[in-house]
Amino acid sequence: MDALVAFAEGFIGVFKAGADWWWAVFVGIVPLVVVLMTAFNAIIAWIGQERIENFGKFASREGVMYLPFRYLLLPVVAVFVLTNPMAYTMGRFLPEKYKPAFYDAAVSFVHPPLGILPHVNPGELFVWLGIASGVESAYGATVLADLAVRYFLVGLVVILIRGIVTERLTAMMWKKEAAA
Amino acid sequence: MRNFLVSFGRAMGSLVGTLYQAGREAVDQVWKNILPFLAFVAVIVGIMNGTGLGTLIANALRPLASSPIGLVVLSLIIGLPVLSPLLGPGAVIAQIIGTLLGTLFASKTLPLSSALPALFAINPQVGCDFIPVGLALGEAEPETVEVGVPAVLFSRLITGPIAVIIAWVAAAGM
Repeated sequence: MDALVAFAEGFIGVFKAGADWWWAVFVGIVPLVVVLMTAFNAIIAWIGQERIENFGKFASREGVMYLPFRYLLLPVVAVFVLTNPMAYTMGRFLPEKYKPAFYDAAVSFVHPPLGILPHVNPGELFVWLGIASGVESAYGATVLADLAVRYFLVGLVVILIRGIVTERLTAMMWKKEAAA
Repeated sequence: MRNFLVSFGRAMGSLVGTLYQAGREAVDQVWKNILPFLAFVAVIVGIMNGTGLGTLIANALRPLASSPIGLVVLSLIIGLPVLSPLLGPGAVIAQIIGTLLGTLFASKTLPLSSALPALFAINPQVGCDFIPVGLALGEAEPETVEVGVPAVLFSRLITGPIAVIIAWVAAAGM
């Protein structure tokens, strides 16, 4: 009998541990996400589809000089206003040879802003929040904000590098494909 | 005066309408995407915390997560072109590993300086499951998809570790 009681306690304890976690996140994070998302949804609606498209054409230029336009400015704006997964539609303004690199840059930016702009990819919040909530409970909110800003900034550097590397690899594979 | 009042009223109406619509979309998103995922993670966290399984896995990950070389190795494994498309969907794997590592940061088992590189080390596979769809959204030709999928997958083998190293450097002073 005692064993049975101990088992029942352990069994429900597993779910209680999960429930405690769920409640902490629900109270701690969800209200902030709702308010931020509302604000950004409204801003995006005010900017309007047409201006976003014009920007896409503007940033989709050829040439080495415009690398930061293609793999930094365009993906950042696309992710910010169109969010995951519609951001990738901005690739349509680019020549075919740049499309894989743009996709790589854009998709790599759907997580780094999550600490500051959770509206870009709320369904995958825990790529950031898993580690972030641990950091916050140990070191507090200021350190968390520091981490969020650094994640964002390093994300910018990483997507530019990804865009450039993938553009080179695409060009190489295209040549191989043409030769074969 | 009347014209002014009419346009003022219109502007206010559209302002309120847009904000209301934005709020509706936000709550919809939370309801449909975030809360179900939270519930799913809560069950996993419960099993991990309640049974000690999490401690086991976290301890297995700890040597990888506590040194720069370990994190680079972790990013290389997750970024392998055969694994990355499998690990991608819904970013589930990244979210679970992140949550497990989070418990190690909460207990200060892992140093704070590992947090930033760890964020990149758990995520070199981002979007690798989605390349053909993502390219199709960008109205890419089939030939572009054929070249683009391997290009992105191999690019991650190079840029995944680079991202971890950059993040390690950028975490200086945390």
